[in-house]
Amino acid sequence: MRLKLAAAILSSTFLTTTPVSTFANDLNINGFLSVGASMMDDNKVQIDGYDDQGGFKQDTILGLQVSKQVNDSTTVTGQLVSRGADDYNTESAWAYASYSASDDLDLRMGRLRVPFYYYSDFLEVGYAYDWVRPPAEVYAVPFSSVDGVDATYRFSLGNWDNSAQLYYGRFSPSSSGVDLKNFAGLALSGQSGDLSLRASYHRLEIESDGTGTFGATNAAAVAGIEATRAIITASGFTDAQVDNAKEDFTLSGQEIGFYGIAAGYDNGEYSAIAEYTQGFGDVPFLPTANSMLVKFAKRFDTLTTHITYTSTENELDSGINEFIQENIIQAKDKQSSIIVGARYDYDDSSALKFEVQQLTEDMRPGAGEIDETGMLYSVAIDVVF
Amino acid sequence: MKSVKSLLFCISLFASAITMAETAVIVSASNANSTIDKATIAKIFLGKSKSFPDGSAATPIDQNEGSAARDSFNSAVLGKSASQLKSYWSRLIFTGKGTPPKQSGNDADVKAMVAGNAKLIGYIDASAVDESVKVVHKF
Repeated sequence: MRLKLAAAILSSTFLTTTPVSTFANDLNINGFLSVGASMMDDNKVQIDGYDDQGGFKQDTILGLQVSKQVNDSTTVTGQLVSRGADDYNTESAWAYASYSASDDLDLRMGRLRVPFYYYSDFLEVGYAYDWVRPPAEVYAVPFSSVDGVDATYRFSLGNWDNSAQLYYGRFSPSSSGVDLKNFAGLALSGQSGDLSLRASYHRLEIESDGTGTFGATNAAAVAGIEATRAIITASGFTDAQVDNAKEDFTLSGQEIGFYGIAAGYDNGEYSAIAEYTQGFGDVPFLPTANSMLVKFAKRFDTLTTHITYTSTENELDSGINEFIQENIIQAKDKQSSIIVGARYDYDDSSALKFEVQQLTEDMRPGAGEIDETGMLYSVAIDVVF
Repeated sequence: MKSVKSLLFCISLFASAITMAETAVIVSASNANSTIDKATIAKIFLGKSKSFPDGSAATPIDQNEGSAARDSFNSAVLGKSASQLKSYWSRLIFTGKGTPPKQSGNDADVKAMVAGNAKLIGYIDASAVDESVKVVHKF
């Protein structure tokens, strides 16, 4: 009895005098793990990282997230991701402090995920989508983080729950030799009942020192233009045009942009998503890729079946830039895939997936126009914990 | 014949048991809100809203996975299956955009927590309700 009274006094003192956060001192540990295996029927078409010998590495990903609520409005979160496709190198994909300025406004600072795509936020959390991996035709940007700040504002309009996310930062993909500066973008999304819509725009400036995987490739391309000057001028272009082209194809100092739109529907039984992206464009060295996907799925209790059509095509410039894009940097690229798959929810935190992808290459960088079709078979187990 | 009759009896008992098992959404007796509609409750439990209709801060708590009240709350109020919810939260957890309501035990545990904290909102089997908590919605 006395104990109870003491406890009551103690708790009432606490409740009245200290604004204790409801769940202060909570350390949250969450994680996701995908183990995948895949095999191509032959090597006539090319998909990075996959071949007809089969493999386990490409779709195998482990992520571990630790977050701690510091006080009622501040949380610190870190996420480490180890990807088989990257020889299991562990990378800090996210590391940020978030501050909830009000019920409707969250501010974050640190390493964030660039919200390029509909699935960007949970690109690596296989459990969160039906595919073994998001289609590479659309999900093609080779980096996914930015170091900076962002603000997410939530608001309602009629029946729509919306959010606007604005970010600004900088990023240097490791060993790429490029520095992406003044990297900024805006992502708007809305949800009403079964319907969701999304639009985003991103822009950045590239600085390159001519080294690293990306910088050296660009430097080599510009050197290639000089080396083939005789061939280019023999094709009807002037020396002055070649000089201009060398400048146009030099990435450093240039600004590039990317935008994407998406719409989704999910009534629990049927779901559909359509996504279109255009990027990175505006510079000849990185011809604009127009990419799209359309996916339909039907859920039968714990089994989900789905079918997707996806395609991408590089949009070349005209004149001398087109000539260089086609013949020197070999940027002709056009491919499409049909993906058919099934997902079985084994329990409420693990899923088993099967998938068959038929890839058709109409044009391939370096090979020009080809017409090859190949099959990729994949299986994956995804868990979240 | 006899077995058919007793089977029918069992079924009717079972059916009445199902209709009897009402779930109550509860807040602390000291919470100023009297009734809260389903859409608002769903928003709070899905992390889309952080406040009660009167503007005060709201923190939802769940029962443990597998509890009967949790299953009926998920389907009746949130309109989602357990795996759809897991998928919904996995899209938010790993982006820092939200965390699911904390798993806080059974009817008695949730009732005790809610009773002692005006910020909390939970759900329990209607038969477990007492004067320490206030029912804001029932289904």
